[in-house]
Amino acid sequence: MKVKREFYRSFKDLPSEEYLSPGSPLCAGCGGLTTLRQMHKVLGDNVVIVDAAGCMTLLAIYPFTPLRSSWLYTTMGSPSAGAQGLRDALDVLLAKHRMSADDNLQVLVLAGDGSTYGMGLSATSAAIHRGLDFWYLCYDNEAYGNTGFQLSEASPFGSATATSPQGTQQTKKNIFEIWRAHQPPYVATVSAHEPIDLAEKVRRAMTMTGPKLFLALAVCPTGWGFDPALSDEIARLAIETGVWPLKEAIAGQVRHTYIPRRLRPVREYLKLQRRFRHLFQPTLWGETLTYIQEQVNIYWQSVAKAEGAKQPTLA
Amino acid sequence: MVLRIRFHGRGGQGVKTASRIVGTAAFLVGYQVQDSPVYGAERRGAAVVAFTRFGEEAILERGVIEHPDLIVVGDETLLANPAAGVMVGQETATAIFLNAESAQPLVEQYALSPSTIAWDLTRRTQAIVGVASALSVGLAAATARLVGLIPEAQLLSAVRRELMELHLPEGAIAKNLDLASEVFNALPSLEFPLRDGQETPQKISSVLYEGLLRGSPSILNTGNAEQRQTGAWRLERPEVNFEQCTRCGLCFLQCPDGAITLDQNGYPIIDYDHCKGCMLCQTLCPVQAILSKQEVRSW
Repeated sequence: MKVKREFYRSFKDLPSEEYLSPGSPLCAGCGGLTTLRQMHKVLGDNVVIVDAAGCMTLLAIYPFTPLRSSWLYTTMGSPSAGAQGLRDALDVLLAKHRMSADDNLQVLVLAGDGSTYGMGLSATSAAIHRGLDFWYLCYDNEAYGNTGFQLSEASPFGSATATSPQGTQQTKKNIFEIWRAHQPPYVATVSAHEPIDLAEKVRRAMTMTGPKLFLALAVCPTGWGFDPALSDEIARLAIETGVWPLKEAIAGQVRHTYIPRRLRPVREYLKLQRRFRHLFQPTLWGETLTYIQEQVNIYWQSVAKAEGAKQPTLA
Repeated sequence: MVLRIRFHGRGGQGVKTASRIVGTAAFLVGYQVQDSPVYGAERRGAAVVAFTRFGEEAILERGVIEHPDLIVVGDETLLANPAAGVMVGQETATAIFLNAESAQPLVEQYALSPSTIAWDLTRRTQAIVGVASALSVGLAAATARLVGLIPEAQLLSAVRRELMELHLPEGAIAKNLDLASEVFNALPSLEFPLRDGQETPQKISSVLYEGLLRGSPSILNTGNAEQRQTGAWRLERPEVNFEQCTRCGLCFLQCPDGAITLDQNGYPIIDYDHCKGCMLCQTLCPVQAILSKQEVRSW
């Protein structure tokens, strides 16, 4: 089940403008970069990006930048504070008529999961609380990817990272619900595999003032351990196995923008990635795999109940 | 005395692991050892350098090896890339080891030292290990043999130890041990005239400057990353079969780097100066209209 499209019916309707040039030093097949590219197309050119230290820091290394928009680089803990400063500065310039309304910029925080779920959460919480008018894109690759793939608060249960080589024992933090509890006007999850769904969400949020928060699953060939040729395939499996739900919350009201008719077994997603290899060999960790599958099933059962939708056939 | 070995390869070929295996093997023999890799913010396919130093006394040298005794090259296509610096300091090198089918044409083309040894590591790695680009063990075995100071037993223990640390399955380790033995016994040992004393490098790391036009871009220009040609990372080359292409535009939408544009008629045009060769477009094309051509032999 997919929600009705409001703005874009097919790929051809998506904006074709390009705001990122090629030539950045990000890994081949980077899912986070695809997401940023797709989101920027809809946002247009009047954007200033506030980047938290992370993989995307590599985008703009002096003297090179792939961006046609502006850029402010902050520490991992402070992109949302940086966004507040920029928004205030722009508002002051506008109020004093030292800047024309045409030159106004949309402030976009760009942060990885290390910053979003952990180090930067306090500043983001405060910014949402103040009702700051900004966009937020978290490219969630489920670990501190840029520094060698150490565990973050977004690392899923069972996944191996550099600091949890036997498999992460903690559960991935539910940042969507943490954001939603702050009552911002708009929260959504997105995936580069569904560019129309992503574009629709950005367009819907555009009319809203206040925090507009996007959580993207950023498939990561380097950290997750798969051939970059499979980047889109892994992103697709995350959606079809139900591991990565596509949803949005407008004024706190949650709705799923895609509810699969039938969930594919979560193993199909896990077995393609080196970070889950220890669950399959040398011995099969059957109980762990069953547990991971159960968590996905429980989630979708609750979705069906809450939204009165048809429950997907469980794997 | 200190023996200095410099390894060159591409991200993903196991150059760092090769330098570690040689370091561990030399350590097991009883030498003092130092090994370290250098790589920038660029990943799979980008040029990687690693260093191993070993000797009888404590090693006080630091940083990059500017004057290697042995240069080990995992990928011959790096010779064409001046930024990879493969030939830096080759005048002091006793030998150069190339993973290539034959040395002669490359020696002539790139004016390499006549004591260049070539061996087709890629073909044997493909045959024994099953992955053409898994060169770490072959490069380490070739190095151990050429320097002549590391016996086969210590080499094999080092291979086992390093691969176990990478959590490789037992079957893959066994195949790599077979490869190590074959390479070790196929190559000769060379005499290395060892230089006395230790060097103090002028710089801990050396910065390579590009020509003025590329090296000093205007920072006021937006999107100037276009001047960086990430196409050199590519291991495989996607090519569009226009007769099959349905102009759906999926490859254009999903290319992470925006290295695919659409022409007036909606056909995809691939920018080979920048395409990193992730091959995502080939996998997702619904009508298989994108083919792959091998760019680097060992992949």
